[in-house]
Amino acid sequence: MWDNPSLRCLLAITFLHLLSLIYSQETGFPEAPENLKCITHDLNRMICSWDATSSANLGLTYKICYTNSEHFSLVCIETEGKRADIPVTVGSTNIRITTLNASGTSLATETFVLSEENVSLIPLTPQILNLSADFSTYTLYLKWNDSGSVFQYELDASWQIQILRKETLETVALMNYDSKLTGKDSILSWNWTSDIPLECTSYYVKIRCYINEPYFTGRKEWSEWSPIRTVPEKDTKPNSAMVFPQDKVVLVGSNVTFCCLYNEGESIKFMNYGSKSYPLLRLNKWSSAIKVQNVSASISSGTNVWCLLEPDGLEGTVLFVGYAPDTPQNLNCETRTFITITCSWNPGRATALYRQRQTKYILFERISKENVTCKVDELNKEHYCDFPVHANQKIYNFTLGASNPLGQAESSLLIDVNQRVHLETPVKFTVSTNSSTNAHLSWYIPGNFIQIRLLCQIEISNSNSERQLNVSMAGAENSNYRAWVDALHPYATYTFRVRCSASEHFWRWSKWSEEKKLTTLEAPPARGPAIWRERSPVGETLTVFWKPLLLSEANGIILSHEVSCYSREIMLKAHEVPVPLNSTEIKLGGNDCLISVVAKNRAGSSPPSRITSMDLPSDDVKTELAIAAGNGIYISWHSDPNVTCGYTLKWCISSGSEPCNVDWEMFPSNATDAVIKSALFQPGVRYNFSLYGCKHNGYQLLQNITGYMKELPPKVAPNFTVEETSSDSILVKWEDIPVEDCQGFLKGYILYFAKGEKGSSKTSFTDEENKTEKNITDLTKKSLRILDLQGKTSYRLGLRAYTVGGIGPSKDLYVVTKENSVGLIIAILIPVAVAVVLGVVTSILCYQKREWIKETFYPDIPNPENSKALQFQKNICEGNTALKTLEMNPCTPNSVEVVETQSTVLKIEDTEIISPVADSELPEDGSDPETGSHVVVSYCPPIIEEEISSPPIDEPVGSSQVIYIDIQSMYQPQVNPEEEPEINFVTTAGYKPQMQLPINAMKMESHSPTEEDLDKTAGYRPQANTNVWKLDSPDSPISIQSNNENGSFGSPCSINSRQFLIPPKDYEDSPTHNNTGWSFTNFFQNKPND
Amino acid sequence: MLYVSGEISGDSWGIFAFLCAALWNLPTLPALNSTDEVGAVQSIQKTYDLTRYLEHQLRTLAGTYLNYLGPPFNEPDFNPPRMTRAEMVPSATVDFELWRNLNDNARLAANYRAYTHLLCYLRSMDGQVAKAELRKNLGHFCTSLQGLVVSIASVMSSLGYPLPSPLGSANPTWAQGPGTTSTHNDFLKKMDDFWLLKELQTWLWRSAKDFNRLKKKVPPAALMLRLEARGF
Repeated sequence: MWDNPSLRCLLAITFLHLLSLIYSQETGFPEAPENLKCITHDLNRMICSWDATSSANLGLTYKICYTNSEHFSLVCIETEGKRADIPVTVGSTNIRITTLNASGTSLATETFVLSEENVSLIPLTPQILNLSADFSTYTLYLKWNDSGSVFQYELDASWQIQILRKETLETVALMNYDSKLTGKDSILSWNWTSDIPLECTSYYVKIRCYINEPYFTGRKEWSEWSPIRTVPEKDTKPNSAMVFPQDKVVLVGSNVTFCCLYNEGESIKFMNYGSKSYPLLRLNKWSSAIKVQNVSASISSGTNVWCLLEPDGLEGTVLFVGYAPDTPQNLNCETRTFITITCSWNPGRATALYRQRQTKYILFERISKENVTCKVDELNKEHYCDFPVHANQKIYNFTLGASNPLGQAESSLLIDVNQRVHLETPVKFTVSTNSSTNAHLSWYIPGNFIQIRLLCQIEISNSNSERQLNVSMAGAENSNYRAWVDALHPYATYTFRVRCSASEHFWRWSKWSEEKKLTTLEAPPARGPAIWRERSPVGETLTVFWKPLLLSEANGIILSHEVSCYSREIMLKAHEVPVPLNSTEIKLGGNDCLISVVAKNRAGSSPPSRITSMDLPSDDVKTELAIAAGNGIYISWHSDPNVTCGYTLKWCISSGSEPCNVDWEMFPSNATDAVIKSALFQPGVRYNFSLYGCKHNGYQLLQNITGYMKELPPKVAPNFTVEETSSDSILVKWEDIPVEDCQGFLKGYILYFAKGEKGSSKTSFTDEENKTEKNITDLTKKSLRILDLQGKTSYRLGLRAYTVGGIGPSKDLYVVTKENSVGLIIAILIPVAVAVVLGVVTSILCYQKREWIKETFYPDIPNPENSKALQFQKNICEGNTALKTLEMNPCTPNSVEVVETQSTVLKIEDTEIISPVADSELPEDGSDPETGSHVVVSYCPPIIEEEISSPPIDEPVGSSQVIYIDIQSMYQPQVNPEEEPEINFVTTAGYKPQMQLPINAMKMESHSPTEEDLDKTAGYRPQANTNVWKLDSPDSPISIQSNNENGSFGSPCSINSRQFLIPPKDYEDSPTHNNTGWSFTNFFQNKPND
Repeated sequence: MLYVSGEISGDSWGIFAFLCAALWNLPTLPALNSTDEVGAVQSIQKTYDLTRYLEHQLRTLAGTYLNYLGPPFNEPDFNPPRMTRAEMVPSATVDFELWRNLNDNARLAANYRAYTHLLCYLRSMDGQVAKAELRKNLGHFCTSLQGLVVSIASVMSSLGYPLPSPLGSANPTWAQGPGTTSTHNDFLKKMDDFWLLKELQTWLWRSAKDFNRLKKKVPPAALMLRLEARGF
């Protein structure tokens, strides 16, 4: 009915009309109805109720009149209660309610205009049909009837479901659920999953409804809440304490709540997850929980969760935390036997779940719609599954499903079974032969391969070769397969093995079968041996040589060689030589013949090898040198046009004392060179080769060749000796090195020589820096003279030979050159001659000056200055360290006559002329004979001091009156030595006139004193002794001792008396100068004056 | 000589001990009336040695197994109250005086029954273990324990005692066997395993004492006399 739009429109207008007209008429009677309220549950009828006072009159009835919207007629009904069920009318309607008393008299009448807006739509209160719980998944399942039949048409309905828990009815969730009312009663269902196990506490559910009618303009309200329903308890409710959830499997990273239920009289102490304790959440009187966030993968036996109860109890559960199965990787399906298809895969990430919780695999084939459960052992990590092969099915579409309590995954693979054949390893492999070149092979492969061809690979290997042979053959069912192998070598041991695969669609080879060895039978030798012959020098006998055949040529074990001698096709003689001999002698008896050699084994004889016994004469055979090629010997020769049947190069390798083994090699006629290689060649060993040319009537020796495989340095040093030695040269001779020690062709010698004495240096010449070396490349030269040497010098000589391979060891000799006698003689004679000449000249001069000498040295009136008192000791300037003090005793003041005080200027001039070096010529002072080396300058300061009337004003009284004056520098100590002896000492130490003066004087006088003299002078350090300067006191007992070792050295010009002992320069020019007589220098200077 | 050898690994030693016990005792099993007194004494000695060895082997195994069970079972101070259901494992906690007052026969019979049951339980435990190495170790231990059961039977027969029926126990709780534990949750199974290892340890300790006492108590001469008396 409501589908009709015109009707809907009419209904709407009616409601609107009612709405506009509704009003109440106040009559003032207490029984008058008022506050009319109307609600509808189904939009068809509405229940209207009103208020009215009815206290005074019992038995009041109400007459309700309204206009029927269908017939537009007035309908009246009577009711005792203050409510009436009237149809819902479109738009507004007038409702007149009349209150009647028991007698039916109208007490009051009210007319209401009821519009649609004033009608409330409140759905019927829903009823929960069923509430169940899945404790394993913590899920509540709710069912209820939507009462859709109440409405005649489709409507949108909303449901609100409230979940409450605990005794306190805490709201856990308020969920909305929308549905469509279809005009028929429907059972709606809804579920909700709890975050904590349902066993942990009690749960309650209630529901209400809301109808959303878009055309209804009145108020739409939620229905009443349904009666509350309690979640039923678990059937197997434990009678003891327990921990929930029990043995649950969750994903890694989940948040899990555990609760511990306990009984009356118990209390919980703590609750642990693994080894960690968690804070307790009290759920109710007998239940507490812990919340574990982000759980990690559990150990293989699961993570324990337990609560410890008081007074005595322990309860627990195990949580298995893992992963959902990974997608099976590398799924591979293949058949080995065509009976089953074996699929294998890699499970991917481990799930951390084991035993009954481990991943289960099911292999499903979509075409045949068959599936098989795979047996998987997580512990052994083997993942494979066998699926049966169907007779008429080639294509298989596999899906491997993996599942565990946490999830599932799958992987698919489509295969053609004929293209996925991976055969089993061939077994029962046998190899046999009955010939020298063939072998039979047989093997067995399990499986039914009738529909395909097989490709088998046979590997044949021996010690030096390996080959593979592919054989294609028809497949069979559980059959033996055979193959035939030929082209084998006779008498060779081979190793066989076989593997197979499908021929048409190769997928994979099977594993190799086990190996089998087989030795083929013998066959006659493939060719005759290589032969050579040598005539004895006399020519009566011929030695025939042959080389043993290679294994590949012998085709078996060579038992003997048959040597025959033919002359014009007639066999003259023949004999058999057993192995291992490889030569034999034949007596020719003057006749040449054709030698034939045949090798024999058990299977037969080889073709004969032939060679003529005839040798052609050869003259002027030269010996050439071969070139060492490192790994062989390079030999070249000139081509000989007469050689028609090749060249033969023969050599002989001797090993120790045994006769040498003859070896040879043959070359074609056009060959002109060859590198001869042999395992017997050794580096550094000389080999001799003979080249024969094969001519039509015999062999001719063409050339001899000698050479080395590799040249080495000589093994020994050449033996050399010194033949002759002079003062500046050495003649060295050496001998040849024996050929076996040369280890190569000798290229020359190197002679080293350097100064050196035996035993002083053991370094080799190569390390010697000052060595001289001479390279002797002329090998014919056997001696060498080394020139330009120094006389009477030790030389070290070394001689080494060298080849291309290097320089050999050195032999060292030490030689001392002879003394140079002429030089020595000259060195003696020249000084002697000079001395003689000097003597003669001196004598002549002395003779000529004899008068002057007499005057000087032996005057009639002695010069007071030559008095003893003023004489210097001999060696006064020799610089002895042990100096005497001034001699006091011989001091005779009387003999010193102080004439006048000298000025310092004069003293300077004086030094330029007079040198104390002349003291060496002074006569020895007899007062100090024991200390000839000590200079004793005699003077008498105390006495003089007493005689001197006045000392210099600037000099302190009591200080020494002795002033030492440097003759050259005029050094005069100005400091009181008593006050500062140290300074004096230092100053005095620097006092060097005595050191310099003689040198200057000598220069002046062109006199070369000996170094010894100079040293003595230079070493003159008497002032260094501090004691000297303490002798200030004239009464010092030390100073009195003339022989005192620490005596002071006095200046030769002590001027205690202010008088130079040596005369001033002014006197020099005077021919009557008395002082010059004692000076050797003056001796020459005065000469012109004479 | 091999007893003093410290070089032999645990496994080899276990196999060796088992083989020794089995080879030594198996021939004597049917010969219950054997009068070879030297054999009886040696049999007791071997059983004692095997008991000691099993004690040693169990120490290693228990360490590994309790670690496998995880905390709290591998915690050194873990001492849970023994629940009623755990009585499925035969308890060795018998009053000392009571045990002492038992005669040799009763003691040996109790040993025999206990090990037979423990072995049975141990084998069921083996199938639940999710570690290959641990399963192997358990298998070895089971083999050794089987040797001990055979060995005790041999000692009893050599002493002339009848072999008790394994299920004819006075303690019906644990006589039912491990099959009744199937309804347990995993935690309770772990608890049972824990108690099994603990009981094994206590039984082995007690058996070692028993066999040591028996060894001293039954000299060869006395044995012979007893056997002769039986013969009459």
